[in-house]
Amino acid sequence: MTERLAGNVPKALSAPVSQGYSIDARKLTTRLLNASIKSGVSKGRYITILNPDARHNLAVGIVKRCSLSFAGSVGYYCCAFCDGISATIEGNSGWGLGDNLMSGSIVIREDAGASVGASMRGGQILVWGNAGARAGISMKGGTLVIAGNSGFLTGFMMQRGRIIVMGGVGDAAGDSMYEGIVYVGGEIGSLGVDAKTESATRSEEVELRAFLKALKFRDDILPRRFRKIVSAKRLYQYDSLEPLERERLVI
Amino acid sequence: MCGIAAILYKTGESTSSQAVGLQLREMLYSMRHRGVDSTGVNIAGQHFGTDYVVRVVVSEDQGASHVIEGVRNAVAALGGSVVFIDDFGRFRRIGLNYSGDLGKLSDSILSVKGAEIHSIGRSSEVIKDVGDAYELDKKHHFSKVNGTHGLGHVRLATESQVDITHSHPFWAYPFPDITVVHNGQLTNYHKLKREFQQRGFRFQTHNDSEVIAVYIADKLSRRRKLGDALEESLDDLDGTFTYVVSTDSGIGMAKDRWSAKPFVILETDEMVGVASEEVALRRIFPDDVRRIEPQEHEVLTWNVSLAPRIKVRLN
Repeated sequence: MTERLAGNVPKALSAPVSQGYSIDARKLTTRLLNASIKSGVSKGRYITILNPDARHNLAVGIVKRCSLSFAGSVGYYCCAFCDGISATIEGNSGWGLGDNLMSGSIVIREDAGASVGASMRGGQILVWGNAGARAGISMKGGTLVIAGNSGFLTGFMMQRGRIIVMGGVGDAAGDSMYEGIVYVGGEIGSLGVDAKTESATRSEEVELRAFLKALKFRDDILPRRFRKIVSAKRLYQYDSLEPLERERLVI
Repeated sequence: MCGIAAILYKTGESTSSQAVGLQLREMLYSMRHRGVDSTGVNIAGQHFGTDYVVRVVVSEDQGASHVIEGVRNAVAALGGSVVFIDDFGRFRRIGLNYSGDLGKLSDSILSVKGAEIHSIGRSSEVIKDVGDAYELDKKHHFSKVNGTHGLGHVRLATESQVDITHSHPFWAYPFPDITVVHNGQLTNYHKLKREFQQRGFRFQTHNDSEVIAVYIADKLSRRRKLGDALEESLDDLDGTFTYVVSTDSGIGMAKDRWSAKPFVILETDEMVGVASEEVALRRIFPDDVRRIEPQEHEVLTWNVSLAPRIKVRLN
């Protein structure tokens, strides 16, 4: 999937390197690296981080508008607790990319590890490759777009916002969702507890396509149609009935 | 938490003597944040020049020379002969020639008071100690050890004691060359362990991961393929786990149905590297190798080439 899409990555979303400067991550401890990113950000510069070497906790807690570009893979919790950033990752990410994102955008050119966009509250994360297990776990807002496939427990305990998966999703999709929508272009492995599928309405389809086009997805790679996974809301009320008693109830 | 890593050269015997030890050291050191209680490796595809190499830890209160003498006698009593003994502080690397039953040999060595076996292998050995990968290397010089494949572990103890005995990799008593590293917790290991004990297996620790080693070795001894044994373990083991097994001919991995523990793979035509985190693999693979992340309930195996093993005897 990524190979096919690689040429199509929107230019506008990547940091224009020429106007900024670069930091070589290999020469710095994570603490110093994050401090230098922050000090560059406060001067309004575009920053390229060279040799991130899949290290953890890079660019966490940045609450200013800024542009960052990682020239390689990043580890766990990259761009966690950020507000207003625009980040591009040229490789893969580990677990929890964009954890608790408030606003801004994160673009990852290859695969995201498990729990991408965990608890995100706003902004947008775009994964050009595949996502691991529990994508969008406990999401509370914003949009998570996955151009490839998404793994096990996609949208687990999601509370608001939307996940758009252009490929397929794995087993237990939408398990224990409260609110929010998971749009799926490909196959659904299986539905999770209290999740149900609906077909997207015409106006939703139009809106979705317009949104994806704005992200520079070509028409021919968009799925023919989207199905959506939402909460069946049967878990909203608990009762103390035995399974047999519940079967006899007419709802 | 714990971190696991493994590496395998598919080119096999013909081009053995890859710097597996050195690469494992670098991988494990870069994952030291996942646990520094202990570090251990198993380097396979070595040529020992003897039938077996036994890794033994000797208890200091029994007197090391006394214990070693006991082991020497135990081997001799079964018709075997000790060819060399390398000294690594409390650890001994014993090369011996022996053609009988390995269960008997193990039991006989274990009956020597103050002796504990870390591994018995025809072409592999387990090296483990407390501290990080560089501390381990300082004591055991494993970065100079070459082979065709190997695995390693950094430990953050959750299920049993912080000591050398309870650190990974675990050798599967009494099967040569089968070792396991595990990241996770098993909840049904007491039950499994009891079943194995009733069948005469002997456990050296209270660690849950040792059960996996014995479980896999038991299946392999009954002519199951490694892939099938791993597949069956997904249902028989209860808990969270990602583990890697090393045999004399390759490695295999299994990941639980919850996808609870991290695992990534980087593979080229010549070699494959697997680890809990990409940070470990980027130390040895170039940036353009694509990363694969196995999902839930998944099993994978890799083999060194199937070229016949040429045994080199020095005596």
